[in-house]
Formats: sequence, C-alpha cells, structure tokens
Amino acid sequence: MVLAGPASAPGVYEGAANVIAAVMLLLEFGMLRQALARDQVRLYAAQSAMISVLAIVIAADRNLPDLYVLAGLSAALKVVGVPLVLRRLLGGAVGDEEAPGVAGSHTITPATAALAGIVLAAYGFFCFGSLGIHGPAAPATAWAIAGAMVLVAFGLMIVRRDVASQAIGFFSLENAIALAALVVAAGLPLILETVILFDGLVAVVVFGMLIRAHHSRAESLSTADLTRLRG
Amino acid sequence: MSVAVPIPVIQLLQVLTIAIGAPFVTGVIAKVEARLQGRRGPRVLQPYYDLAKLFRKEALIPLEASWFFLAAPVIAVAAYLTIPLLIPVLTSYGLPPGYMGDILGGGFLLALASFVIATAALETASPYAQLGSSRAKTFSAIAEPVVLFVVFTVALLTGTDLPYALAATIRSSAGEIVRPGHLLAAAALFMVILHETGRIPVETHTGTNEFGMIEEARGFEHSGPYFALLKWGSELKQLILFTILANVFLAPWLLASTQQLGAIVLAIVAVLVKATAVGCVVAVIDNSFAKLRLFKITEFVAGAFLLAVLGVFTLYLGGG
Repeated sequence: MVLAGPASAPGVYEGAANVIAAVMLLLEFGMLRQALARDQVRLYAAQSAMISVLAIVIAADRNLPDLYVLAGLSAALKVVGVPLVLRRLLGGAVGDEEAPGVAGSHTITPATAALAGIVLAAYGFFCFGSLGIHGPAAPATAWAIAGAMVLVAFGLMIVRRDVASQAIGFFSLENAIALAALVVAAGLPLILETVILFDGLVAVVVFGMLIRAHHSRAESLSTADLTRLRG
Repeated sequence: MSVAVPIPVIQLLQVLTIAIGAPFVTGVIAKVEARLQGRRGPRVLQPYYDLAKLFRKEALIPLEASWFFLAAPVIAVAAYLTIPLLIPVLTSYGLPPGYMGDILGGGFLLALASFVIATAALETASPYAQLGSSRAKTFSAIAEPVVLFVVFTVALLTGTDLPYALAATIRSSAGEIVRPGHLLAAAALFMVILHETGRIPVETHTGTNEFGMIEEARGFEHSGPYFALLKWGSELKQLILFTILANVFLAPWLLASTQQLGAIVLAIVAVLVKATAVGCVVAVIDNSFAKLRLFKITEFVAGAFLLAVLGVFTLYLGGG
C-alpha cells in the first residue's frame, strides 16, 4: 500500500458509525485487560449498548424502521438479559464475592496480551479491509473493525483460563458478528436479524450450563483444573 | 476595529500569550480543584505572586554542581518559549517561522527541555532529584512512541505533519471531526498530556510524596530565580500542551484568520478560555481518580499507545 496523500473524510454518518465501532473494539480490549469477571460483564453490557446505539444511528440515517425494533430487542437481551444471567451464574455460588478462579487466570501477562491483541487487530484490519466490501450501509472502517474485534475476542478466549472469560469472549464475538452484519446487511429482514439474535440466546444457555456444571464439579471457574482429567 | 497588526507583532503576541497566560491557567486549575474539594483555594493570580517571590530570593547551589546546573532552567524556558512560534496559538494561518518545524520539531524542543532539567537534577547528587530524573526519563521513553503514532495519524489525515495543516483539515468539514482516527489520536494525546504534566493518575502534583514523585522531584535542589524558572517552565509546558490539544486537535475555532486587531484580541481570549476548559477537565480527573502505583503507569501509557495504534490502523488499513 502506498501512502498517497490524505484520504478525504467519509462523512458524518460514516464517521459516527466508525467511532461507535472503534469504541466497541476498545471495550473488547478492556475485557482482555480486566482481571475480574464482574468488570468484564459490565464492559460486555457497555459493548452491547454500543451496538444498539449503532443500530439506531443506521436506522435514522438509512431510514430503516426495522432496525429500531432490533435495537430495542438487542438492548433488552444483551444489555439487560445476558449480563443479569451471567452475574447470577458467576456470583450465585459464592454470594457477592468475586467468582473463584477468574482473577489471575491470565496465561500471559496483561501487557503481552494487549500487544498480542494489537497484532491480532492489525491482522483483522488488514484481512477485512482488503476484502473491499461496500454495502449500502457499510462504512469500510466499521467493517474492518468488526474483523479486528472477532480476532481479539478469539484472543480473549485463548489467553484466559477461566470459563467466565471464555463465555464473555464468545458473547462479544457474537457482538462483533452482529456489528459486521449490521454494517454490511443493514436491510436484512427483521425476522432473520431476530433469528441471529436468538442464536446468541442459545449460546447463553449452553454456556450457562457449562459454567454451572464446571463450577459444581471443580468449585472454581478456572479451566486449569480440567487438565487433571486427561489421566 | 480595522487596525492591521504587523505579522512580527502577532508572532510576538503568540509567545507573550503563552508566557503570561501560563501561570493564570495554572491558577485557575488550582482554584477549580480546591472548589471541587470544598476548599476556598488560593487566588487565581497566586502563581504570579509565587513566581515574583521566588525571583526576588537568593539562589543556593549545591557544592558539586557545575555551570550546567544553573544553565538548565534557562535553556528549558528558552525551549518552551520557542514552541509557540511553531504552533497555532492565535492565528489559523501559518506565521513565517510556523513552517520551520512540524509537530516532531515541537516534540524535540519539549524533550530537550526535559533532558536538560533531568541532567541538572543528576548534577546535584541529591537522591530525590536523581530519582525523579531517572523516573521521568524511563516513563517518557515509554510515552514517546505514543507521540510518534499520534504524529503518524496526523500525517495520514493531512498528508503532512504541520500543526497548522491539521487544524485546517479539522475546520474543513464535520466529517473530519468524527473520524475515528482523529478522535483516537486526540484521546491518546490527552492521556500523554496527563502524563507529561504530571497529573493524576500518573503523579500527584501537589504535596511532597517523595516516593511517588516523578517530574516534581527534579527541581528539589534549585532555589531562587532558577527554581522560579523551573516552575514557570512547567506552567509554560502545560499551557503549550493544552494549546496543542485545543487549537490543533479538538477545537481549532475562533483563531484569527486575518491580521485585524479585533480578531487577534478575540483569539487571545479564546485560547486562554479553551486552555482553562481543558484544565477544568484535568482538575475533575484529578479529583475523581486515584494515583496509579508506579509500576502501573506503564499500563496507563500502554492504554494511550493502544488508542494511537488503533487510530493509525483505522486510517491505514481500515480506509477510514
């Protein structure tokens, strides 16, 4: 790529969508950094709120009333519902205290994890950016950021050795995909969007059961204990 | 008022605005901070009285110190007073020496000032001053890449890294303001400014918590007029950084676009108001967060680095 002069600004709507996407990516990095599960859940709720805001921005700019409904549904489910369930699951076993096995579950130091996250984000930016996808509602940068978010969320699931982080990494991965879907195919029929949203709900139930089962067996949310089962 | 001010006078006014306005901005921040804590606080003009008092006092010099110990504060203030020539303080058009140096040039001058102060602190053989200068150099080595990436972002946005060019680009359309690359770079620069001006969460700038001190500890052995120059220098640095943030990145409006006297006067008031506004935000941050432990400062700077790097990514790889 040759650096040829300044690229002109894409416009206010695209800029706003891109900024919201960038904030979502920053929140993803926040989850990577946070040691405590309840802070991660809080960041996840904030990230989900941002995607609802983005849906409203796109709805207002592209005149797609369906998206208002989607924004409401997604906010109810992901800003209120999922964090509530997660907090209940993680905190239920030990009262108000932090769930055991989450803090200190880093396999690498937070600084190294952040650097690895930057490299992953760069790769995501590069891959998605060079695809050159331009939907009717798709600001190119938001699309590239979605790619970076997918990879950073994967990174989060890989570098942490506890069920809570892995569940939250998975849910934020779903957020990244929702972001990509929103910018590329904003005009998708509402029924399809809702189906995708409820796909996430199934994942919540599955992960909830996994967390529950693991906690009752190992008295901890750390997956480090699982290595013993190899025999 | 249709009196045209000659260009050299405007240039002089840029330097004088920074030189005379700096203690005022510091005074306002101290006042706001005191009010936030429920105290009455010092007078807004207190920094001027402090400087006047220090300038009248005699200077004591440690036995081991050489001439450099006394030259350092003078060199530092000279460096700080050169920077207003390079950045848009009052005008939206570049004044003759304005294209002499870019953002990196200003960064070099800031680094030079910081370097001579640190070296002078080393000369004293006083443990706290040495500790301060060693820490200041360590952490500024980490903050430097952030500044570089902010400059890269500016270069990608404008095709040049002149501060005047970025201010003009941002004024040109609303789309430029909400570009993620620009906002991320501005946020990263703000975090660097918190770091450089020795504010919470990096350093407490008031009180004498020797073990937590970084920048503040470097002037321990200076006294009298030389200490006054150091104090004035750190106030100048603060106002210069606030001016760069406000007039180049966040709000490059109300700058004089002509040589009319009225426009210049308005610009002088505007730059002080903008710097005070930034100062109020800094004061609020000062009162809402705790100081980070020394070894967590790297994480704070790493956060700024992340913002700056993502800013470059969105522009270079993401096409935004």
